[in-house]
Amino acid sequence: MGEIVNPQQWLQEHGDYLYRYAMSRLHNEEIAADMLQETLLAAWKGHKNFKGDSTMRTWLVGILKHKIIDHIRKEIRGRDLNDAVEHDPTSAFFNADGSWNEAPRAWKENPEDLYQSDQFHGVLDSCITKLPEKQQMVFRMRELTGDDTETVCNACDITSTHLHVLLHRARLALRKCLEFNWFGKVKQP
Amino acid sequence: MKHACRQATKLASDGLDRRLSAWELLRLRYHLLLCGHCRSCAESMQIIHKTTELIRNSQYENIKLSEAQRQHLREELEKAAGC
Repeated sequence: MGEIVNPQQWLQEHGDYLYRYAMSRLHNEEIAADMLQETLLAAWKGHKNFKGDSTMRTWLVGILKHKIIDHIRKEIRGRDLNDAVEHDPTSAFFNADGSWNEAPRAWKENPEDLYQSDQFHGVLDSCITKLPEKQQMVFRMRELTGDDTETVCNACDITSTHLHVLLHRARLALRKCLEFNWFGKVKQP
Repeated sequence: MKHACRQATKLASDGLDRRLSAWELLRLRYHLLLCGHCRSCAESMQIIHKTTELIRNSQYENIKLSEAQRQHLREELEKAAGC
């Protein structure tokens, strides 16, 4: 449809956009640039498949998205994350009859203020990093990248039921960690 | 009401990811009405959720390929695609 088949031009026009997309999902400059390179090469090889019923950018993002999911899948397989050894925090937070062991505190903070605080970003990041690997991965994908449930399940090869169990665990552990490391230290107004 | 708080926090967490059924919503609301601890927990999960959303939307706003990366990509494309 009058589109010029020229990877150099794709790089010129869509490079930054695609790179940003990859960074928001991979959080690693080197891997993001690699994925971008693979995407442009795959697009060049497969340009005949471009039907022109979407924009060139949408088509390129589609290819990049697949590359990223493949990458994450490989990484998960390589690390052989095992659920069985993952700690279930819900058992530590609740007693045998399912009520709280230790009462959670009421937070009064405003998300907008927390977001403005670089210190809070640091504490949040260190709390996320303390989560078991699989919880960390799904939490980051879901909440910091904004991937939808289907994409996360697909990349991590889990069911949505399992995803929700992992997110529940992650959120309870994060709440606890933040309460201890941030809300416990900050003076409430 | 065995496991009540544990289950209520699960529903509160699920509610951030999917639409709860009418029955689930009713159960959750009823529990939160009676249980201040779970109300605090649900609120803090909500605060974390909203804060990460704000972070997500701004995180990579201004990021660009560096000139070195761009040059490297240009060369790789030239090698592979001959253009």
